[in-house]
Amino acid sequence: MSIGTSERRSGGHARVTGSQKFVADIGLEQMLHVRLVHLNCGHARIVSIDTAQALAVPGVVSVLTAAELPQPMPRYGPVFNDRPVLAVGETKYHGQPVAAVAAESKEVAEAAAELVRVQHEELPGVFTVAAALDPASPLVQEPELRPNDPLNHTNVLSERRFGWGDVESARADLVVENVYTFPMITHFAIEPHAFIAAAEDDGVAVWTPTQNPFQMQRILATVLGLPVAKVRVHALDPGGAFGGKQHPKYEPLVALLALRTGRPVRLVLTLEETFQEVRRTSCEIRARTGFNRDGTISFQDIQSDFLMGAYADIAERVIDKSNYLGCGPYRVPNSRTVVRALFSHTTPSTAFRGFGTPQVSWAHESQMDDAARKLGIDRVEIRLRNLAGKGEAFLPGDTPADGDWAVSVRKAADAIGWGTALSPGRGRGLAVAVKAGATTGASYSIVRLHWDGSATVLAGTSDMGQGARTVLAQVAAHELGIPHEWITIVMGDTATVPFDLQTSASRSTVFMGQAVMRACQDIKAQLKQMAAELHAPDAPVVELLRARFSAVRGEVIGVGSYRGEYQPEHPLGGAPSFYEFTCTASEVEVDEGTGEMLLVRHVTVADVGKALNPQHVEMQDEGAAVMGLGHTLMEHILLDDSGRIRNLGALDYRIPTTKDLPLEMHSLLVENADGPGPYGSKGAGEGGLMATAPAVASAVTEATGVVIRDLPLTPERVWLAINEKDA
Amino acid sequence: MQPFAYVRPATLSEALTLLDEHGPDASLLAGGTDLVVALRNRTLRPKVVIDLKRVAELRPSISDEEGWTTINATSVLTDISEDQRIRARYPALVDAAVTVGSAQIRNRATLTGNICHASPAADTAPALLVYGAIANVASVRGTSRVNLAEFFVGPRQTVLQPGELVTSIALPADATPRGATFVRITRRRGVDLATISLCCMVEATGRTQFAFGAVGPRPFLVADESGLLADLDVGDAAKDEVLRRLLTQASPISDVRGSREYREAMLLVMSRRALRLSIARLAAA
Repeated sequence: MSIGTSERRSGGHARVTGSQKFVADIGLEQMLHVRLVHLNCGHARIVSIDTAQALAVPGVVSVLTAAELPQPMPRYGPVFNDRPVLAVGETKYHGQPVAAVAAESKEVAEAAAELVRVQHEELPGVFTVAAALDPASPLVQEPELRPNDPLNHTNVLSERRFGWGDVESARADLVVENVYTFPMITHFAIEPHAFIAAAEDDGVAVWTPTQNPFQMQRILATVLGLPVAKVRVHALDPGGAFGGKQHPKYEPLVALLALRTGRPVRLVLTLEETFQEVRRTSCEIRARTGFNRDGTISFQDIQSDFLMGAYADIAERVIDKSNYLGCGPYRVPNSRTVVRALFSHTTPSTAFRGFGTPQVSWAHESQMDDAARKLGIDRVEIRLRNLAGKGEAFLPGDTPADGDWAVSVRKAADAIGWGTALSPGRGRGLAVAVKAGATTGASYSIVRLHWDGSATVLAGTSDMGQGARTVLAQVAAHELGIPHEWITIVMGDTATVPFDLQTSASRSTVFMGQAVMRACQDIKAQLKQMAAELHAPDAPVVELLRARFSAVRGEVIGVGSYRGEYQPEHPLGGAPSFYEFTCTASEVEVDEGTGEMLLVRHVTVADVGKALNPQHVEMQDEGAAVMGLGHTLMEHILLDDSGRIRNLGALDYRIPTTKDLPLEMHSLLVENADGPGPYGSKGAGEGGLMATAPAVASAVTEATGVVIRDLPLTPERVWLAINEKDA
Repeated sequence: MQPFAYVRPATLSEALTLLDEHGPDASLLAGGTDLVVALRNRTLRPKVVIDLKRVAELRPSISDEEGWTTINATSVLTDISEDQRIRARYPALVDAAVTVGSAQIRNRATLTGNICHASPAADTAPALLVYGAIANVASVRGTSRVNLAEFFVGPRQTVLQPGELVTSIALPADATPRGATFVRITRRRGVDLATISLCCMVEATGRTQFAFGAVGPRPFLVADESGLLADLDVGDAAKDEVLRRLLTQASPISDVRGSREYREAMLLVMSRRALRLSIARLAAA
């Protein structure tokens, strides 16, 4: 029961009817409203800030600038403590807040924010990979923030090298070498980021739609100098997150404002401000791949440069994960992958669904296509010849391939009609990608089985639309043998639920799923003991509970945990607990006159081990595929020469609409119960976007004969490529 | 949003008096799909917002009067795309109207607002231009009618003087046989602003008109009176030469929606396509 069935989404009705409470729906007594002050330029020196006029506006309670904050300025981040609460001395990117106005109403805060006079002087900035690597460019980060780092006088945060074999002496019949670029894109969650903070007892409470309440709690405690127990994070279900709500953003600012004013404060960003707050790393990848005549790979030599923005955030982890699996899911005898994370005067990048994989797969998959065309080998066949077999150690010394990946490829090829006749103007493409699943970290769960047989599950996971509540309830229902409807899942309050590392990397089903399962097993052991004590070994659970608790009351409490151990020598700090493997196939029709594209059919195949809720998994993969069409076809943040975002907002930053969907979409699953999660499940939900770009681009090449190595494939870019070919 | 006074006049004369009184401090509200965005972004900061939705004379209506099809100021785009007379007489206007925003936007946005907002990319402008539409204008001083070809001055600028508002848009109802087509280029299929837009109309006489949007400071109308474009026996190369001549007035710029080069190329590509389709529609008419 329950497992493997498409139970209705818990909270789904509230989401689609608009009755779900988001952070922006919460109002506290005496609450102040915050408006950020930013400059309409990129990199600039702050000469002076005059807050007198703003403070004089009736209803304004506080105007905070760097000068009013503790000195030295508190800095924070998930890995490096480099992000200041407010800009100090200079703004490092378009939209970095230089001041914050707290007022009795949103309107007053807005009006007063305009009256904060910031004298500033625009400075030259670093906006491209080339500029970041140019020794003549300004330094984005002050060297004293990384005092012991030999790279602190460059714009390189870190450089990672990985590989095996000997690329230099490997022989090859064909070497293909190309440069690929991946654009800056934003998460575009429908719920903009919102933050509330209030002083509470002798600590602080924060309401935020975070994917990572316990990291938030830890960082706030550090910034504010409070014990962890005095910081309470209410992590409300986010309205979409995609990695953009994983790490602290303006929570420290609102917490400091709340403590300073003694009033609760709320900051709700505009969509435009979210563009200036978070984005995905753009990158340039130079790939040199050696092939043997039969299409097998001889070597892979990849140099990636990720333009991460003004602060480190989680960029180092992004480049590590991208680089570690830089060769994709293939058997590669010789590999050298080098990656750099570069500072720039742009919005700091952060985690984003796929976490570095869509970038590198854009390169390795396009290389496969290039080789296939040059060697005269079918594009599916060349992949099958190189794909690691199940159990094969395709990454020397690490977790072997945990799925029969060729099955997914064949399934996708069949579904797209590979090898069948094409209508004029059409082409097909197929691509694969693999991501290292979650590695380290712990998830804990407490399950309370009540006297009537119903249960409350405490889990620190965030349900941001992926359906974690539903799936965790399914696991508990299955284990405890009670109906799904008898279970309540409690999430998102650090004062109530036990620790969870984070909701990211498709880890919740595996890590929290296991923790819930083990907590239920703990309960079952106690029930067995209880049955023995009551001399009723075969009594149904509900009868046992009634017998045990009718007089004295009480409940059975189970505790479960699951953790991936830290391995200091491992390039990722720990072995991937599973691989997220995807295969995408697409058929497109290109209008050669205009460069416009119609997606006729789009197929994704996800190797998920076991679909605990098939409909949820399909929806997740479908959503990921549509999101992938964004960076493939239309999404890119455009900067002007001074680093200003030119397409700031929904009007000129385009994401796919329902009318942009493929005419036909298929989300197919492969289930072999070969994952580490409950019932053989693996993580899922990122895969659908990891190979979108190379699959669609390959189809465009088949349709038109042009090869495009820069994303997105806008009509203008496709038209230009066709025109250049014809010229 | 900056605070403002909200007034809801019941009659046209009240509305005109208010508009006269507040002049540039007033903004008119019909559908609000442009106004509310501007208020929210604080790009417009009126002291008074005059809501026209309850003005008796401006209530949504599409009527036939003295050879004109008259569309009142508060008629929304959905009213237009669903009206059988409009669908029969001005199909290219329907094609244009259904590309504006989303279904939700079209249920609120008015045709008159789309025109008075005077975006160079206004989707309905090219179709209204080829159909020879006029704007009926009123102020406390009286009424006038302005040919739409003379209505647009530049981006967000029209010939309307302080105190004037458009009470309706009217299109000539006496149609000679014709075929018209609206086409545009966008960056995506759903809800987008035009990179370029155009409307082509071929008349039985051989006269061919084109109106272009998003390729200059204002939408504009040009005509080929030679009959060459409509002539089935004339080859593509000769037609291209005429099209290029008609397109000399276009002065597209490079911006986030597209480069000048792409816009120029698309003008020709889409003009050819619209011409072919219009000729086919004329034949079918």
